Amino acid sequence: MMAARRPRVAALVTEYRKYSHGQNIVDRLMGGYGWGSRWHQPELDVVSLYVDQFPESDLSRERETRHDDLRIYPTIAEALTLGGNELDVDGVVLIAEHGVYPKNEQGQTLYPRYEFFRQTVDVFRASGRSVPVFCDKHLSWNWEWAQEMVAISHELDFPFMAGSSVPISRRVPSVDLPWGAETEEIVGVGVGGIDSYDIHTLEGMQSLAERREGGETGVVAVHAMRGDAVWQALDDGAWDAALFEACLCRSFSLKPLDESHRHTYPTREELPQLVGSPPVAYRIEYADGLKGTMFLMEGLVRDITVAARLADREDPLSLLFYLGAGHQMQPNFFNPMCHHIENLIVHGKPPFPIERTLLTTGLSIAGVTSLWQGEKFETPHLDINYQVDESSTFRRA
Amino acid sequence: MATPQRQKLAIITTFWDWRSHANHMGERFLCGYPRDGRWHRPAFDVAGVFVDQSPGQDVSRQRAEECGFTIYSTIAEALRLGTDALAVDGVLLIGEHGDYPANDKGQKLYPRYEFFSQIVDVFRQDGRSVPVFNDKHLSYSFDKAEQMVAAARELDFPLLAGSSLPVTFRLPPLELSLGCHIEEALMIGVGGSDAMDFHALEAMQCMVERRQGGETGVAAVQLIEGDAVWQAGQQGRWSRRLLEGALARSDSRSGIALSDGRPQNLAHSGELEELVEKPAAYFIDYEDGLQATLLMLNGAVQDSTFAARLGGAEGEVVSLQFLLPGAPNVTYSACLMQKAEEMFVTGRAPYPVERTLLTSGMLERCLESKVDGHRRVATPELRVSYQAPAASHFGGAPTD
Repeated sequence: MMAARRPRVAALVTEYRKYSHGQNIVDRLMGGYGWGSRWHQPELDVVSLYVDQFPESDLSRERETRHDDLRIYPTIAEALTLGGNELDVDGVVLIAEHGVYPKNEQGQTLYPRYEFFRQTVDVFRASGRSVPVFCDKHLSWNWEWAQEMVAISHELDFPFMAGSSVPISRRVPSVDLPWGAETEEIVGVGVGGIDSYDIHTLEGMQSLAERREGGETGVVAVHAMRGDAVWQALDDGAWDAALFEACLCRSFSLKPLDESHRHTYPTREELPQLVGSPPVAYRIEYADGLKGTMFLMEGLVRDITVAARLADREDPLSLLFYLGAGHQMQPNFFNPMCHHIENLIVHGKPPFPIERTLLTTGLSIAGVTSLWQGEKFETPHLDINYQVDESSTFRRA
Repeated sequence: MATPQRQKLAIITTFWDWRSHANHMGERFLCGYPRDGRWHRPAFDVAGVFVDQSPGQDVSRQRAEECGFTIYSTIAEALRLGTDALAVDGVLLIGEHGDYPANDKGQKLYPRYEFFSQIVDVFRQDGRSVPVFNDKHLSYSFDKAEQMVAAARELDFPLLAGSSLPVTFRLPPLELSLGCHIEEALMIGVGGSDAMDFHALEAMQCMVERRQGGETGVAAVQLIEGDAVWQAGQQGRWSRRLLEGALARSDSRSGIALSDGRPQNLAHSGELEELVEKPAAYFIDYEDGLQATLLMLNGAVQDSTFAARLGGAEGEVVSLQFLLPGAPNVTYSACLMQKAEEMFVTGRAPYPVERTLLTSGMLERCLESKVDGHRRVATPELRVSYQAPAASHFGGAPTD
């Protein structure tokens, strides 16, 4: 019997420098990573690379000399055709994160995910054949484009996976929302800024919320707020205080007010002083009545936690999405992402519906828009229905 | 429902500044701590405190003013709260940090046994005993450690001791099944001796103690250093397969991971041998034939990982990282204080102090091997038998 040929992969990255998403993901696919109780060498070969920007710290050219199989091509089309006339790879990894790109007036960085994707599907169409595609983080900063990307994946019928590493990372404790649980409210506390990091906390929350009774039926409105309005909403009891406390108590980085290292729980008065930049909250109204609130509270914490109020439990369900214990650690939250990318390309199976990331892309855009407009933003376009399996896809024993 | 009666605690410590164990542990009973998704405030009041050394960075006096406890000049007074009889319901004994001499084995001579003896003297004199938690190993001396455990048995009070590693979070949340067959075990630790090797040895012990037949003690130990460690690996004295298994759970960054970001296949790339500054291997030969190895790999990793080959046809290798979340909050110490509080509340130690007794002895004998030409040391005195608890006690352990 002839051995099956190892799948060949094209990687399209905005930049390839130390610790950029491009470097982290593609280096793992090429060189392996720790998985289970072994060093895992993926059963695929990254054979072509398109790099949009070459900063001084670029590593892609070094990798081309290091890996005999790897070639850098000047265009996306050539990376996909390996310089020939038609599609000649078995999978595409699209990583448009990091690099110097303009920002729009709403604060979104205009990463060319849609543009890379369009050029990819142009090759698919011209070749009359499609292969699995992975898109890092959200789909696009532009809602219509994100929607179009998903529509094209359905039209050309190729497996399409996207999103953050947060939903598939380790959790402490290592639990999931019970499948089919009646869920009343969900709260996520994360870090970073809008457009760049909101997607991580939103995806973490959504990966739990989508398991609730009835599955996902979409979102009708998002009301985002920043600064004092967040504290005012807290004082007004706008969300379940026990869920907010549960998030802070799952954090591994809850900061005390002074540098006394007293390991205290912050008082209401201390909160605004602890959150370095103005806090952000996205209040999410789901179509089925589920209430969601996502906070960005850099300074108070440095990690991402979530808590949910379930109808049949007295105590909230809460957990930490474990992404590492500090900046000196290897970002091994890319390991489960690479595990799923390998499965996607080798077996053609995305671990969860692309509609999750379509919805979170829409939530991020809606949050940014609501902040820009200074009012609640109705989201009839987020009428997104999907169902997930009972099996969990995060990294566990 | 009536509010439960608040109980009183004494903290007996060597030294209390913001970075000390006294802070990370004692403060949990002053400020509360995160527990199962809520801020838990123990129903205990720290009432009496004894601090052996109070240099400039001491904060115990400031905390006494802020929190309303009293610092006494003797251990007996701290336990009696200035009265003539034992007046507290539990004792935290934290003999870590402070300026104490070291012996020729490199052991810092923290006065845990000496403090414990004074505590027991009060128990005897007053005809009543209360639970005691002892931070880290019982004593640098196995003889003294044995006396501590014997006194607790004689006076019949619960004694809990040891490191936070056995009770901290695990990635993945792996617990070996009670009564499993373990072919071989390997632990990777970091840091200096005899502070950090103790943590690693006890982490390894809390895993292997669950094996078939329970713990029956250690027959011999040996500590080797330098290139001899790599040579021993080549000779099969420790398993490179288990090294791979443990390192697969590491999230450390060194070597090429620092220089250009690539993940490192440290077990097989040859880089490990270059990165480790001064490797050390602690060989533990158990009475029942199990061989376990602690490798101290400073320079290559910064985290603590474990791997074991289980018995059976498949010879499955399992592994995990003992996760130590750093500042702020260093939540692993909250995990440990949760266990101390459980003992104070229930009057029962959640896991046997014999684990810490055996580990204290393993460490002392390993360090004797180190200063005595790295020879193998027979340890007939370490026939310490005990049964591991059925329940898991690590942070976030599945409870269902």
